[in-house]
Amino acid sequence: MVLVAPRPLLQPAHLEVAAAERSSGREVLALLRGDTAARPRFDPELAGGLRAWLEDAAFDVVATRGEHAPPVFLGPSQLLGSPAGWRDDEGLSDELVLSRLVHVLFRQLVTEGRFDHPLRDALDGLRASGAEELVRQIESLPPAARASLSETVASHAANVREMVPRFAPGWMPRTNDRVAIPLAGGRVVLHGSFDLLVGLPQPGTASLCALGLSTSGPWARERRSLHYLALLETLRSGTPPFRLALLESATGRYGVEDVREEHLRAIASHLSAWLATGPHG
Amino acid sequence: MAERLTDTLVAPLAGVDPSSWGAALQEAKGILAGLAVRRAGAGPFRVTGHEIRAALSSDATDLAGQRPFAWSARTARRALGLAAVRQLVAGDARSPVEAVRARLEESCRWAHDGSPCASQLDRWVAGLPPAGRVAVGAEAVTWATRLWCALDWSALGSAPVIGRDRWWDSPHSALLALRGRAEVRTDRADLVVLSGPRRETVRAELALVTLVEALRSRGSGVPGRVVGWWPDSGRLVRVEPEPAVLTLGAEAVGLVLAGSGAPVRSAA
Repeated sequence: MVLVAPRPLLQPAHLEVAAAERSSGREVLALLRGDTAARPRFDPELAGGLRAWLEDAAFDVVATRGEHAPPVFLGPSQLLGSPAGWRDDEGLSDELVLSRLVHVLFRQLVTEGRFDHPLRDALDGLRASGAEELVRQIESLPPAARASLSETVASHAANVREMVPRFAPGWMPRTNDRVAIPLAGGRVVLHGSFDLLVGLPQPGTASLCALGLSTSGPWARERRSLHYLALLETLRSGTPPFRLALLESATGRYGVEDVREEHLRAIASHLSAWLATGPHG
Repeated sequence: MAERLTDTLVAPLAGVDPSSWGAALQEAKGILAGLAVRRAGAGPFRVTGHEIRAALSSDATDLAGQRPFAWSARTARRALGLAAVRQLVAGDARSPVEAVRARLEESCRWAHDGSPCASQLDRWVAGLPPAGRVAVGAEAVTWATRLWCALDWSALGSAPVIGRDRWWDSPHSALLALRGRAEVRTDRADLVVLSGPRRETVRAELALVTLVEALRSRGSGVPGRVVGWWPDSGRLVRVEPEPAVLTLGAEAVGLVLAGSGAPVRSAA
């Protein structure tokens, strides 16, 4: 990591903090921008090599499952384990609901630069996104539970507002950018979503930054998830993002790091091993 | 990615033998005329790439089981994103964020003024609370940014057409119409933005675009190639304008109308 800032923000910042006072956001932005001359360079053959490695592992999966088995879709939860507290076997967990709400606010902040009432805005955003069922569940919570959720969302929202920089439109910020990489002729699909990508793609040059938002951690798992997405971007466009930022909304902690080839090789090695032994049959 | 996709769109087209093309077009027209006659008396039928995918793919049951259409950030993103890219190409906006914001404001203005320009989408957007509108905008910004950044627009030549679907109405039956959907149209190629997994039906879906162009052509001109692009994976599929593509498209339409899931003859 270039920097991890364990900020003393367990007490959430006040909601009325003005955008101009977002000191953490300014720091994150400066770290993302960095020294343009010092941006890492990547071997143009890297993407091809990583793909060949994963294709070999994926064809082993196909050999095990059979040629005509339906495609396997593998995301970070299957490959790296679920974030803390996530489960959906007995309905959505509180942590998963919180994550959905905070991510809606994150998108709103990036796109519009502000939100007014965190829970209400998040519910409006979810409803417009077609998640009416989830909105109904939240709205039908008992008053005490709903008040508690509202308070928790406000706490995360305050930290998000503190940490998320204001990106100039020319940085081309885009949220929820989905990546899906078919392997073995589409019979194994690795997928994931960048919470935020910024930068203009440039042929042969690593020119993007990626930001991930974690609501529940653990930090190490979320960091690996970003490495996984960087790998998928390498397979999609030929080059990874050159820098990654991880923002933790529960605490206000954030970290920024350069992407290195060893990160990509390590996560590809993990995927390859997982495909060889994982419960995908 | 921009380099590779743009190169594919602007690459010179291989020559097509006019007599072979003309014969294939006549054959396709014959197939469609027969279909139209057989459908006479039934309800109107509009064939799009989606119908071809639903009819021919093994996941037809899943597609058929989809919920009825409703506006959401996801279903609105293409229309709003295309409007944004149109503004960017015209130089009326400097970034996707700015272009989408302008389009959303236009929706609200039209809906509130009762403008005849207001579509169902505009009225839905105008009725959303501010945070809902931002969520819709965020989804459209991502869609538009991916397309905008995927191409070297200056290399595409004279003003590309953004997001104009083209229809062919059967002269034999007012009940049958075919739709060719493409997000970017140039002199040499049509770009179709694809979603969902890679699938065997994609060539037939794209052949429909070629077929509609050929059917609409008044002369003996051969349309450009059709390039399908998955933004999620960066993958491309090219369908060159060959006589066999017309046959593939017409047969696919036939299978849609027959309600058959039989595999399409692999002609392209």
